[in-house]
Amino acid sequence: MTSEAATPTALSIDEDTVLAQIAATLRELPDAGLEDAEISRETLFHDDLELESIDLVTLAGLLREQYGERVNLALFIADLELDEIIALTVGRLADYVTASLRATEEN
Amino acid sequence: MAKTPTGDITTHVQELRAGAAGEGEPPVVVLVHGLLTDSLASYYFTLGPALSAAGMDTVMYDLRGHGRTDRPRTGYRLEHFVEDLALLLDALGEHRPVHLVGNSFGGTVAAGFAAWHPDRTATLTMIESEPPVATWATHIADGLAHARRDLVHDQAIEWIKERYGAHTARLSRTAARILETTTLAEDVPAGRLIDDDLSALRCPLLAVFGADSGLSAQVPELEAKVAQCRTVVLPDQGHSVLVEQPGRTRDLVLDWVREHHARRSGAWAGAAG
Repeated sequence: MTSEAATPTALSIDEDTVLAQIAATLRELPDAGLEDAEISRETLFHDDLELESIDLVTLAGLLREQYGERVNLALFIADLELDEIIALTVGRLADYVTASLRATEEN
Repeated sequence: MAKTPTGDITTHVQELRAGAAGEGEPPVVVLVHGLLTDSLASYYFTLGPALSAAGMDTVMYDLRGHGRTDRPRTGYRLEHFVEDLALLLDALGEHRPVHLVGNSFGGTVAAGFAAWHPDRTATLTMIESEPPVATWATHIADGLAHARRDLVHDQAIEWIKERYGAHTARLSRTAARILETTTLAEDVPAGRLIDDDLSALRCPLLAVFGADSGLSAQVPELEAKVAQCRTVVLPDQGHSVLVEQPGRTRDLVLDWVREHHARRSGAWAGAAG
């Protein structure tokens, strides 16, 4: 995507917008059964959404389509310890996405 | 999500191209996951990004019946899994000999590929695996019969949910669905084997075990039978080596592939770090 409107500016990037975008992406995730799921910052990927790790691979692809290469879920998760992955919340992912987008803006 | 036709099924594949070019052609590493509860995700969030960052072309895919690859009702003998991999490499236009890494049953598939496609195999890494010999067939038949008996009851899944949490319960339901809707449990132990002398394994072998899993008892036999064999036994570690020690596993695989790729191609140095 190269149009001006599709490229978020520093001002347009806030955690709430990103959180809403991620929640929408999760509800549309194929085979995950999350169409009607309640999703907040505190929602756990592992125990609340019951996502299988293969669903996270699909999510990684969708986030890359949405935000570009700067959002790399594989690298983000590869850097986490196993107990951190189990405790991963939607809010923490939203913070990572927001930070990645802002870092790109500043460069 | 990339879906690639491989014979009568469509295979879900994720490729990570070499992130930093070294000298000459990079090595290609193919990662093969385990049975029933496993998928390419086990690599996607562990070894995959590190191998690609180190200058290696990395291929991850879901085995038939698993993850987002098709799940036909029949056709789960070892030779089907091995042929899928050969067809996948054809579909990707991959003609370099590949460095295979297999976890658990994935290591058995990788060993089958190394035995039956020696010209396409550079090295073989087996993590908590057995080669496809007669004793393996007995072990896997017992394991699958056990899983089928335990997982088909809803009460069992509920018990798993209470004891191990919702995520493990979901994985167990997936495993139960595979066992209920396919002939996998009968097919896997009935497939083609290699001779007990392991003479079919002619490429360099790295075998990694957890000391507490029981499979490490194979070490003396592997070292005696495979000419170029390196074994590593991780202390205080059970079967889940890849998931519980991703950093250690990554370092072992990186060193192994670097060393053997340099030997094969001379100049290649890969990316630093």
